[in-house]
Amino acid sequence: MNTVIDAHNISKVYNPDTIPVYAVNNVHLHIERGEFTAIVGPSGSGKTTLLNMLGGLDAPTEGYVEINGVNITKMPANKLIDFRLHNIGFVFQAFNLIPVLTARENVEFIMLLQKRPREERDHRVRELFAAVGLVDKLNVRPAQLSGGQQQRVAVARALASKPQFILADEPTANLDSHSAATLLDIMEKLNRDENMTFLFSTHDQRVIDRARRVITLVDGRIASDTAPTSTKIHA
Amino acid sequence: MIFLIAWRNLWRNRSRSFIIIASVAFGMWSGLFIGALYFGMGKARMRIAIDHEVSHIQIHHPRFSDDQEAKYSMDSDSLLAVLESQPDIKSFSLRSVATGMLATTSGSRGIQVNGVDPTAEQTTRNLAGFVQQGDYLNIEQRNRVLVSTKLAEKLKLDIGNKIVVTLLDTAGAITSGAFRICGLYQSENAPQDELNIFVVKTDLDRLIGSNGRVHEAAVLLQKDDVLNQVCNRIKQVFPHLKVERWQDLSPETDLLLSSLNTYMLIFMIIILLALSFGIINTMLMAVLERTRELGVLMAVGMNKWRIFGMVVSETVMLAIIGAPVGLALVWLTVQWLSRTGIDVSVLMGEVMRDFGFATVIYPELPWHNVAQTFGLVVLAAVLAAVFPAWKALRLRPVDAIRG
Ligand SMILES: Nc1ncnc2c1ncn2[C@@H]1O[C@H](COP(=O)(O)OP(=O)(O)OP(=O)(O)O)[C@@H](O)[C@H]1O
Ligand SMILES: [Mg+2]
Repeated sequence: MNTVIDAHNISKVYNPDTIPVYAVNNVHLHIERGEFTAIVGPSGSGKTTLLNMLGGLDAPTEGYVEINGVNITKMPANKLIDFRLHNIGFVFQAFNLIPVLTARENVEFIMLLQKRPREERDHRVRELFAAVGLVDKLNVRPAQLSGGQQQRVAVARALASKPQFILADEPTANLDSHSAATLLDIMEKLNRDENMTFLFSTHDQRVIDRARRVITLVDGRIASDTAPTSTKIHA
Repeated sequence: MIFLIAWRNLWRNRSRSFIIIASVAFGMWSGLFIGALYFGMGKARMRIAIDHEVSHIQIHHPRFSDDQEAKYSMDSDSLLAVLESQPDIKSFSLRSVATGMLATTSGSRGIQVNGVDPTAEQTTRNLAGFVQQGDYLNIEQRNRVLVSTKLAEKLKLDIGNKIVVTLLDTAGAITSGAFRICGLYQSENAPQDELNIFVVKTDLDRLIGSNGRVHEAAVLLQKDDVLNQVCNRIKQVFPHLKVERWQDLSPETDLLLSSLNTYMLIFMIIILLALSFGIINTMLMAVLERTRELGVLMAVGMNKWRIFGMVVSETVMLAIIGAPVGLALVWLTVQWLSRTGIDVSVLMGEVMRDFGFATVIYPELPWHNVAQTFGLVVLAAVLAAVFPAWKALRLRPVDAIRG
């Protein structure tokens, strides 16, 4: 087994001095390479807070997070940004893309930050846009893409850096069911063909149904964690 | 890519970009325009000092400038021989100078009587050009005098009037002579006008008993930049005489020219301060508007230096567009005004003349200051961008994304 994310009893407390809010409460979690896992739970249960901590966007108030065996919790800010650049892909609920850059530039930008050579970038851009089915939208600005198309570009961008895993916080929340299904198809295919690890939060039952492992949060605690049965099928 | 994002960001909010470009252009314009006015004034003052007042070089007996007695004179023939042999000298005027009193029915006052050769004085300092009424001096007519309109006004004199001047002769004895006013003159320098009257040299020499002697040699050169060379050559030939350059003779003009840069710098800094506050405000708005976007950029791996660089380069781009626009505008303005000139007598009246300035200013772009001004404007823009950029750094990606 190959552990990608290892969360050691992490908690996040807001307003510790007044009325403490345990957004995430003592969560212990392992994510293995190749997982396709959904984090579900009612609104306010701590899904976003948990994902942010796993992705190094937010620091836990207790516990620590290891990515590929590296403790990211005490990392200095700039080093952490660099770590995210090389190890984690992000897809947010909305407003993912830089509006002044074309779809292609939004994706290529990540590889430029990684200082990848030009031929590699060109090759990978073509590959990624083919994977998300948007080869005809390379030079279009985000404003001219539908919500679903924007999220597909965001997935392409998240993949561009060849990350260890992709975190997606409610990636389908703003999409109609058809676009949501398409996005899920793409994510599933990448998971199957390239063994890319996906960890996403969602409210949507149709999305939950497609996850192979479902972690349910209630009030910041893990209430249930279904066995990753389908992972075994693929393994 | 950072520059690409910065560049594209400029086009997002065009009116905001336009405001910054316009204010940078205006800063550049006003800084250089004031500079051009100063520079034009300074250069005009220098031309007046050289062409109409003290010439490039003056030669005196070493004691003459301290106490202007008629006995401190120089030999005319040797001066003549040396000055005529110098190719860099355009013209020169040998003068007899005596201080004394001018008495009229409406009062008396101290004056300086300049005995000049009308032709030499004309080619050296354009005295004839200053004559407002009546005629210039004429070698044919004896005992004529040219007084300034200002003095005539004060002493209620007019053309044709006879005046009596009392002087000390070469032996130190009091002597007096009568002159008839042939013309009234007016130069750019009102205080000097009140003091100086002009007569034909031979008339004055006869009065003070000076023969073949001069008190002052004023030398006009072909070009300004051979000044030190010629000055040194004359000093070598006449080591015992006092040879002075226009900077020594008109120190206030020299001071004015050398303080121009300081004035410009101070003025520029004031403009740039105002400009910076405008930029800080506008860029801060731009950063706050893009909180979410900056959050995404930081989340996906753009480090703080790059974020900082992006905000700063956005501002610098605006400055680099605005500054040449301002430069072009000031060039056009100056081009246009340097033809017509700006008549400040409407605003300032005779004040300018009282300080020895022409009443019409011909602005001239101080090219040696253009690069400096450009640099200052861009520097101000960079400094003004630092605060908004720092604000952008303080954003936390989580807060930015949650919005
Ligand atoms: N910055 C904050 N300050 C204080 N409390 C916060 C802050 N951010 C989140 N919370 C609280 O933490 C809890 C968990 O929030 P979180 O956004 O993680 O939930 P979520 O499961 O993502 O909800 P949703 O499904 O609505 O997105 C909530 O009670 C929320 O009010
Ligand atoms: Mg959430």
